[in-house]
Amino acid sequence: MSLAPDGHLLIIGAGLAGYYTARQMRTQGHTGPITILGAEEHPAYDRPALSKAYLCGTTDLCDLYLDDPSDPLDVRWVRSDAVIGLSTQPLGVQTASGTFYLGDAVVIATGAEARRLGGHAIRSVEDAAALRAAPLAGARVAVIGGGFLALETAATCTTRGAGSVTVIAGEELPGLRRLGQPVAQALHRLHQEHGVRFLGSARALSVNPVPAAADGCRSVRPQARQPAALQGSQAPGPHSITLSDGRSIEADVVISAVGAVPATGWLTRSAVALDPVTGAVLADDTGFTGIPGVWAAGDCALWAAQRTGLRPVGHWQETVDQAQAVASALLGGIPSPMQEPYLWSDQHHVTIQAAGMLALADEVKVLAGTIESGDLLVSYLRDGTEIGILGMNRLREVVRWRRSRRVRPAALAA
Amino acid sequence: MFLTEEGTVHALDDTCTHQDASLAAGWVENCRVECPLHESTFSLRTGEVDQPPAKRGVRVHQVTVQDGEVLVELSTAAPQLPPGVEVR
Repeated sequence: MSLAPDGHLLIIGAGLAGYYTARQMRTQGHTGPITILGAEEHPAYDRPALSKAYLCGTTDLCDLYLDDPSDPLDVRWVRSDAVIGLSTQPLGVQTASGTFYLGDAVVIATGAEARRLGGHAIRSVEDAAALRAAPLAGARVAVIGGGFLALETAATCTTRGAGSVTVIAGEELPGLRRLGQPVAQALHRLHQEHGVRFLGSARALSVNPVPAAADGCRSVRPQARQPAALQGSQAPGPHSITLSDGRSIEADVVISAVGAVPATGWLTRSAVALDPVTGAVLADDTGFTGIPGVWAAGDCALWAAQRTGLRPVGHWQETVDQAQAVASALLGGIPSPMQEPYLWSDQHHVTIQAAGMLALADEVKVLAGTIESGDLLVSYLRDGTEIGILGMNRLREVVRWRRSRRVRPAALAA
Repeated sequence: MFLTEEGTVHALDDTCTHQDASLAAGWVENCRVECPLHESTFSLRTGEVDQPPAKRGVRVHQVTVQDGEVLVELSTAAPQLPPGVEVR
C-alpha cells in the first residue's frame, strides 16, 4: 500500500497540508517526484497572519510564503489550475485547464472555503487583502462569529482605528461553549477594554445593503434587496444585519468569520466517501481513504478520531501533525504519533494557547491568574483527570505541559 | 541567556525569527531551544533553525564564563527579526 521510493506523489492543494505533506515526504526520505497542484496563483502561504499582522499591514504576502526561496523543497509546483475530478483507474486528477495528472499516490489537501454570510470573509489572501484595503479607520465594523478568527479580526480592526467594533458571537460570552466560563469572561473583558462591543447570544440571520442614503436621494432597485443569507452581499457601503432577537444593526464594514466548509465539491461524483454533513473526505487515522493510493489531510478531511470528537478540526497544528502522519504511512515507516491537540491565537497583545482535549472536559479549574488581569492559566478535567490546559500569556506553562505529554515515535513502536 | 543541564551557558536574541515570541519561554533540549509558539527549534551554539515555520536562524552572542561571571560579547551581525518587528 505504501509508495515506492521512486513513485510519483501527486498532492492536490497548495496550502498548509499540501506543503507540509511534501516537506515531510522529503524529510522522511522519499526520492521520487512530487507534484503539488494549487488553484491559487500564489506560492503556498501560511494563513494565521491574515487576520493579524497581514491585516494590520505589518507583513506582506511574501512574508507568509511557506517554502523557503533560499532552500526550496524539491517539488514541482503547478499554480492557478483547479482540480475538477479524481480518477481511480488510472490514478490521477483532471484539472480545469484540461490536463490529466497521473500519480502513484494522491494526497487530497484542498482545504476548506469560508462560509460566507455576507460582507468580507477571511480565508484567502485575496479576502484579507480586500479587507486590508477597506477604509477601516473611523468605520463602524461588525464581525459575525465568536471563534478565534472573529476575535482576532475584531482586535485587528481596533488597531486599525475602527470607529466601533461590534462582535456578533451568538453566545452570551465569546468562547463560552468551547472554552468554559473563566476564559470566556476573560476574553469578553479583554475585548471590552479595547472598545469591542458584544451583542450577547443574538445570532446574525442576514446581511443586506442599506438601500439608500438617509436623505433618500439615491434610487432603490428592488432586486438589490434579495435575501443575503443565501448570497452574501458583497456590495460596498453600509449594511444592515438582522439579528435573531429581532434587532438589527448597521455597519460600514461587515466581516463574516462563521466557519469553513471542506473544498470537496470536485469529489462528489468520485469513489471517495464524503461526510454527509460537512462534505469532508473521510479517512482513517493515517489519512487513508480506503481507496488504494488515495489519502487526505488537512481541512478538507475528517479523520476517524475527528469524526468521533477525539481530535479537533480546522487547527493549524492538527494539519501539520496529519501531514507528518500521512507521509509516514505513505512511506510505510513507523507510524508518526499524533501529539496533544494545540492551538494558539493573538488578540490585543495577549497570546492564548490551548492544548489537549478541551472539548471533552466536564470541569474547568483556574490554576493561576485572574479574569481581570487577562493572565489566566486554566486546567480542563474529565472525571477529575487533567486532559487540557489553556494559558493567556502563559507561554512557559503551556510549552511545559505540551512537552511533558509529548509522544515519541519509539513509544509507539515499543 | 540559557543555562543547559550540562552546565553550558549560551546567549541568543530572544525573539523567534518567525513571529514575535520570546525564546526564553521556550523548551530547551539537546542544546536547542524550541519556540514556545510553534515547532521551530534553534541551536543554542550556532542559532541555526531546523524546521518551519521559521526560515532564518537566530543571532547568537559570544559567551565566556570567567570565575563564575558570565561575560557576553554582543554580535555585530544584523538581528534576524520576524516581519513587522523592529528593534525597540
